[in-house]
Amino acid sequence: MSRFAAFAPILRLFLAERRAAMAAGVALASVAAAAGVALLGLSGWFITATALAGLVPATALAFDVFMPGAGIRFLAIARTFARYGERVVTHDATLGLIAGLRERLFRGFAEAQRARALASRPARLLFRLTADVDALDTLYLRLLVPAGAAVATALGLGVGLSFLSPALGFATAALLLGSGLGLPLWLVHAAEREARRRAAALEALRVRTAELVSGQVAYAMAGRLAAQVDAVAAAEARLAASDLALNQLETLAGAGFGLAAAVLLAAAAWAAARLSGSGDISAPQAALILLLALAALEPFAALRRGAVEFGRSARSAARLSPALDTQPPAARPLPPPGRAVCIEGLRYTPPGHTTPLFDGLTLTIAEGEHLALIGPSGAGKSTLFALILGEIAPDAGTIAALPAAVLGQRVELFRDSVRGNLTLGRADVEDGVLWRALVAAGLDDVVRALPGGLDAQLGEGGEGLSEGQKRRLALARLLVRASPLWLLDEATEALDAETATLVLIQIKTLGRNHTIFATAHLRREAELADRLIRLDAGRIVADVRRGERGFADLLATLRPG
Amino acid sequence: MGSRSHPAQTSQPPASPLGDWLAVLAALLWIPQAALLAAIVAHIADGAAAAAALPPALGALALGVFRAWLDLLSARRVFAAARHELSCLRRDALFALAARSPLDPARTPSGAAAAAIAEQAEALLPYLSRFRPARLRAAVVPPVILLAVLSQSWLAALILLIAAPLIPLFMALIGLRAKEASEAQMLEIGGMNALLLDRLRGLATIRAFDAVDATAGRLRAAAETVRRRSMAVLRIAFLSSAVLELFASLGVAMVAVYVGFHLLGVLGFGAWEERMGLGPALFVLLVTPAFFEPLRELAAAWHDKAAGEAALASLRALVAPPALALPAALAAPSVRRAPAPLAVSVRRLVFRYPGAAHPVFDGLDLTVAAGERVALLAPSGGGKSTLLALLAGLALPDSGEIRVGDVLLDGATAADIRSRTAWLGQRPALFAASLQANILLGRRDLAGEAEAWRQRLLPALTPSRAIGEDGTGLSGGEALRVGLARALVSPWVGLILADEPTAHLDRDTAVAATEALLAAAEGRTLILATHDGELAARMDRVVRLA
Repeated sequence: MSRFAAFAPILRLFLAERRAAMAAGVALASVAAAAGVALLGLSGWFITATALAGLVPATALAFDVFMPGAGIRFLAIARTFARYGERVVTHDATLGLIAGLRERLFRGFAEAQRARALASRPARLLFRLTADVDALDTLYLRLLVPAGAAVATALGLGVGLSFLSPALGFATAALLLGSGLGLPLWLVHAAEREARRRAAALEALRVRTAELVSGQVAYAMAGRLAAQVDAVAAAEARLAASDLALNQLETLAGAGFGLAAAVLLAAAAWAAARLSGSGDISAPQAALILLLALAALEPFAALRRGAVEFGRSARSAARLSPALDTQPPAARPLPPPGRAVCIEGLRYTPPGHTTPLFDGLTLTIAEGEHLALIGPSGAGKSTLFALILGEIAPDAGTIAALPAAVLGQRVELFRDSVRGNLTLGRADVEDGVLWRALVAAGLDDVVRALPGGLDAQLGEGGEGLSEGQKRRLALARLLVRASPLWLLDEATEALDAETATLVLIQIKTLGRNHTIFATAHLRREAELADRLIRLDAGRIVADVRRGERGFADLLATLRPG
Repeated sequence: MGSRSHPAQTSQPPASPLGDWLAVLAALLWIPQAALLAAIVAHIADGAAAAAALPPALGALALGVFRAWLDLLSARRVFAAARHELSCLRRDALFALAARSPLDPARTPSGAAAAAIAEQAEALLPYLSRFRPARLRAAVVPPVILLAVLSQSWLAALILLIAAPLIPLFMALIGLRAKEASEAQMLEIGGMNALLLDRLRGLATIRAFDAVDATAGRLRAAAETVRRRSMAVLRIAFLSSAVLELFASLGVAMVAVYVGFHLLGVLGFGAWEERMGLGPALFVLLVTPAFFEPLRELAAAWHDKAAGEAALASLRALVAPPALALPAALAAPSVRRAPAPLAVSVRRLVFRYPGAAHPVFDGLDLTVAAGERVALLAPSGGGKSTLLALLAGLALPDSGEIRVGDVLLDGATAADIRSRTAWLGQRPALFAASLQANILLGRRDLAGEAEAWRQRLLPALTPSRAIGEDGTGLSGGEALRVGLARALVSPWVGLILADEPTAHLDRDTAVAATEALLAAAEGRTLILATHDGELAARMDRVVRLA
């Protein structure tokens, strides 16, 4: 069935990750379920047998109480231990699966094309991603373990009862599997559409609430704040309707389980009476059958919750599966010696555009050059950087560049220690290197004052530092990484003049032995360059070096600051 | 917007008592059902004809069906009541969010508010629909079962009576840490998601620094640490469930063994008669698991309680009265006046941010004539944006008065004044929707004006052009023009307030956007905060805020 096919890559990942633990978890769950069923069955048999034996004093004395009594106690303890073991093993396996899933997803999304797609629609996509990951976390715990244990119990019971009566064994197993698996399958099918609606309504509730807060001023000025509150409330009403509909289905399935249990119990009682009447089984065996039937359906009831959420899990699996298969990145060519960047015959059409942005662009940057790229927004400056970095692939032409380090418009810092933010996880960087970079970026005093120094934890996006400090930390990161080529994308855009000047002086001083390729809006950013290139609509319309005619004129077209 | 009552803070939610009691009744129906089943085995043991088993079997079937129906009824009632409760809480939180001034520094960020109202609040449902009914069942069902057992054998009842209080005792001993453990574990797993998102948000940097492998390894290592730490505490948490299971299982086993020995005549005491019959003996065995079942259900629902109460707390935090309110937040503007340039006068204005040590303004005076174009110049943090926000009626001053077109700005007139004022910030809030929808913001009656402004300001883009979240796909200049069109769509606007609109644009774009703004300000009053000397020079007057 196609709705199960989506799980295949996830299951493959899970199995590769923790095959033995997953199997052990299902086995322990089966033992626990079976011991619970057997405990009741054996107790019923024991009581009936002792009652019959007790009628005659001679048989009462001869009755072997040791074996069944020990059996009952053993089952009681076995059930407890198996349940405890099951919980420990399955949760350990689940946490292991989470680790594997997170890592693989990260690698998958780190591939160039997906990374771009993710960057273009951040919040909503990221929210959906967490919801998807959470939906898959419980796949093993909620679906695989209870299903495995329930089926194993039903089959074991069928085999066990067939020693008393083959027909009875077969019928019991058939009824258990039919209703126990049939009802969840029906629920999966019936709940699928509503579960989808529910997920959409929850997302709408979330997005509209975020819009209500982030757009509060716009809505208030337009007199539409009340209308937006109503729009959020409408999403909540749809969510409530879906919740109620799903609850109706779930309770219906629950009632189905209740009915099946009642039927099973009555049928078992009737069958036991018939078999005993015809002398095929004894009265204690009849009690055994009845009590086994009583407990047999319980393991299946745990499947209900998983079945309701199955539709959601399947869609999450379908969305995440493509990100799980990763290909090794293609090797990028290096430029000839003495060159830092070589672009030839570049053609690139951004998605959604009909005409190419770059058509035949050629640009060579020598090693050690300091070059600034200027031009109006939309001229293709940031796109050119993305192409050089390999974030996007050109339609035609070749791009060769030395390994680059970037200081972008947006400073991206992480919820990590200062050290982690500087090294980005590389373990082979000595503290001395880090401190030298911090000194150069003018941030050493700040870091020294933090509790823990280099090991001080920063919050999300570098929370805990001011905007200027964040940018300096990003600068220090650039310095730590000994890349021959620095790409600076409007590096001082959001800074006040004082901080910007400091940052630019540092870049100029420390970048003596590096090739610097910078985009610039502001005059102060372009002033550090030895060569200016003006880009307009994807074409180079001016290319002058310091000292050449036109250099100062080109600088003068930029905004002061 | 009709009558919009602000519901009072909800205390203990009124659930569905009837639903809770129906579930209790369903659980108790097991007692007669067990009696019938025990009778069947007794018949068989007596060697009665198979047909004699039919009436009790049918009776047990009927009771089972009735029980399933009661369970269904109860589950639906309880769930519907819980769901209604959740809707009310969410609505309260939404009203509170809308009524908080955008100037309030304690205002919840959009992401956190959305998370609290959407997914976090989901945790309330299991709490309201599972935990509370389970608590009632645990209080009522075991005593009734105990009485049923007592009616047959006082010793069996005594076994249950001893086993039952031991359960909470042992659980409390072990469970003291278990509750914290399960909460800590949920937090850590949530932390794993946050870590993944944090790294995905900075993917461009990680890729550019060639740190994909190192970061993937870091994620894995962090997850493994979470696993080890979680398991250390989970083992303890599971011990408390294991204790419960052990007592439930041993309870059944001890009752079974005692009854067996009693029937053999080895233990002659414990029953009311000299020797229990097989029927009563089996009945005692059958109802014993039902004695422990509600306790197990309650223990399973315990986790729902912690998560539900946390969700309740974060919703209540949103509902708390704001330090700074948005005046007339949900009122609809009632007066539609013909457009005319509006004069602005500010007298002895005092405003202090809640929690701030010093006021931003302490006795500020400002007069702007109708139709005048004024530039506000001030150093960063000098209060330009705050003044514009106060003029726009986004918060009320502590004292002093603001008049816009002769109307005193207060809690009653704020909505009207806003409707005659256009606001242009640095980065307009843009939503994932079409261009037209972003301009209109749902004011369908103004579709004609919206289209006219689009043609004037954004001729290159079609009305149906899709805009991404946060304006993805638009250049800075285009985003600003969308904001301008949105602000000016209303034909009643007589005052334009612009807060450094071109600060982050490149020169060419900034010049073009300024021209568009000045053209739009024709026949209206314009107050503009700016750093840009060139822009300020084009205004009628420059006001410097100290």
